[in-house]
Amino acid sequence: MPDSRHFTTRRGFIAGLGFGAVSLYGAWAAYGAAPLPFGHTPSTESAPESAPDSQAHDHGGSAAGSHDGHPAAATAESFRLDHEAFLRTYGQADGSVDPHAVSHTGGHSHGTANGTHADGSHGGHIAAAEPVTVYLMAQKFAYSPDLLRLKAGQAYRFRMMADDITHGASIQLGMASRIVRLRPNIVSEQTVTFTKPGEYLVYCTVYCGQAHDAMQGRIVVV
Amino acid sequence: MNIIPQDAPVAVAPGGTGYGLTARIHTLPRPDKALLNLLFGAALLALVLGLAGGLLTALARAGALPLYSDDAYRLLTLHGVSVFFYWLYLIQAALLLALAAAENGRGLALRPAAWAGVALMLAGFAVSEWISATGTPLLYDGSPELAVDDPRSVGVFALGYLLLAAGLTASATSGIATLLQPRRRGETAEFGAVGFALFAWAGFLIVSAIAAANAFLPGLLWSLGAGPFPADHGTEWHILFHNLHYLPLMATVLVWYVLTEHLTGVTSIHGARLSKIIFAAYLVFVPPTSLYHMFLEPTLSEGVRVVGSLLSLFVSVPTLAAFAIIVSSLEASARAHGATGFLGWMRGLPWSNPAMANMGWAAVNMMAGLTFAFVLIQGDLAPMLSDTFFVPGYFHLFAVGVLTQTFLAALMVMLPALNGGSLWRPALLARMPALVTAGLLLFAAAGIAAGTMGVPRRVFDIGYGGMAPTAWPVLMAVVGIGASLFAAALSVSVYGVVRTLLSGRKVAAADLPAVAWRVERSRIGTAPAWTGPASIAALVAVMYVFTIAAFQLIQSLPIVAIGGGHGH
Repeated sequence: MPDSRHFTTRRGFIAGLGFGAVSLYGAWAAYGAAPLPFGHTPSTESAPESAPDSQAHDHGGSAAGSHDGHPAAATAESFRLDHEAFLRTYGQADGSVDPHAVSHTGGHSHGTANGTHADGSHGGHIAAAEPVTVYLMAQKFAYSPDLLRLKAGQAYRFRMMADDITHGASIQLGMASRIVRLRPNIVSEQTVTFTKPGEYLVYCTVYCGQAHDAMQGRIVVV
Repeated sequence: MNIIPQDAPVAVAPGGTGYGLTARIHTLPRPDKALLNLLFGAALLALVLGLAGGLLTALARAGALPLYSDDAYRLLTLHGVSVFFYWLYLIQAALLLALAAAENGRGLALRPAAWAGVALMLAGFAVSEWISATGTPLLYDGSPELAVDDPRSVGVFALGYLLLAAGLTASATSGIATLLQPRRRGETAEFGAVGFALFAWAGFLIVSAIAAANAFLPGLLWSLGAGPFPADHGTEWHILFHNLHYLPLMATVLVWYVLTEHLTGVTSIHGARLSKIIFAAYLVFVPPTSLYHMFLEPTLSEGVRVVGSLLSLFVSVPTLAAFAIIVSSLEASARAHGATGFLGWMRGLPWSNPAMANMGWAAVNMMAGLTFAFVLIQGDLAPMLSDTFFVPGYFHLFAVGVLTQTFLAALMVMLPALNGGSLWRPALLARMPALVTAGLLLFAAAGIAAGTMGVPRRVFDIGYGGMAPTAWPVLMAVVGIGASLFAAALSVSVYGVVRTLLSGRKVAAADLPAVAWRVERSRIGTAPAWTGPASIAALVAVMYVFTIAAFQLIQSLPIVAIGGGHGH
């Protein structure tokens, strides 16, 4: 006997409605945030037209975002050594750290401790396509360094780690923030390019204890 | 807009719809009633504590209540522990036992296990509240790394949750035995849709208890010097947490099934088998979708992030399907009684019954919450939204608007039946869900906007020495206003339920409005039922709007970032 029910009251139609939200895949795919069956590689959240580096859209599954496509493989101990060398080499008299300047103590280097080029040229040009490595350590209840001086349009390879417990190292960017979560003794790496000059707040977005609210730093981009 | 004709059959609860939920509860053995009253009372106490803690937290975050840092985070811990663990688990255990006993018709089986469960859960409740109020603030996830120098706080905190888990297991075991009793006696051959759902729910509660033991036993052992420091607590917590907030959603859908039948006489027009498949689908669709909680984890690879996003698209399948079953069954039944108009049939529902009002507004909150949940589950948007106030901004729509209002609706039906009295001031209580929803929408709109701008989820002083955007405190002040509104309205509902619980037989029973829309199957479905499909189409359209807005925003930021990053 044929089913006299209207299709909106039939079992198959109703069960199919449960999958309604799956259609949101279309929006995700349109923004390159989901793999397409015909082989399009999803992009990151970065804007295609504003990317200074073609590799920004072709991370090919690399979690680290390293320019060579391989994840960072540093141990916590080597990170600590590199971080110390970074502070020593680029620390300024006002307490800030500027990876484009010589240390006020006279130290100078053409590379960071791990050998990555972080050009220490004296005001000379830096190739925008070559990321400069910077280090950020989060610990109760401060960042080291707590003031970074960077340049707009320059790519930076941020190497970050929490020293004691889980912290955030999020960057406030005006209308929204870039949220970063750091786990203790796990080196996190992101390649970041600021496209506009400004003073950006760095703040902890993971509760870490009594002075959590006061945990902040700054990135000054010129 | 047309409404259902006035000659449609109208019944009064309890008992008038023929299902007899209230009649079955009313005839439960006295020891079961005592147990259920104790459990309902404890659950309501947890809700009151959580609600008070939540309101004070919101006021502190709005800048209206100056608190020292430790006090503020202790308050936040109390709020989370009370609501997310004790209110939601105690009420689930109570509803499971009540509905299982009613389904059985002869009361609880394995009654000593049920009592042992209640005793363990109440002991856990006391321990958790005490350490939350006096120990190092650990927030509701009890992360041991926050108290490396204070093993006592970690251990006692873990002990509270472990007692709760043990109690849940014992209670759920009693529930399962109760549900199986009619089959073992040869009285029934198979479960009905509700019996099957109760059986699955009880099983999931035991799974949830195992997940809790897995997350918190290492902390207890470490505090006793009997084990290593629980460095993997974060991962174990995510497993529990995912279970923790989808299980009450399944319970909510089940309560909607039960209350729909009680208030309208309507059961699924699609048959018990489809309902059973939908309830079983929670087991299929929920566990694989848990990865979205971990999108910010530095150790999560890009491939897993993408797969996690895709799987997350399926997280709402069982809930939306159950919603569609209920709405289409109601609409088709109403139309079989002659209701006309695209949405006009809904006006025939017994909205002056507070249980109906709570359930109806819960569905509205679910739609709003789902919209933003699906923005959060996109892996590429997580670096803008996770760990911000976006998260509490949207999930209160679920925790308060959907879960709490639905469970209160169940109490409004069950408590008068349990104790023989009547519901306190139903006309007033029926107005509260709209106010709760208004407050929640204000809270959510401001909270989601604040979170999108980067307001951290768990920071009380968001000034950052003048470096924070000026909009942040303004938005958080609106969050405080919204919280005050929904907390006030919800307090009235809770007060009404507590008064009903305590008044017992001292108040004469009074009938509440209900309708009797059940019709024979041959009359069902000849007219279209567009409300369900239209609701879901509207939901998807709004999801598209907010998802696209979020993608546009993240692309407009003055930063290009690649990689979540990980090392070793």
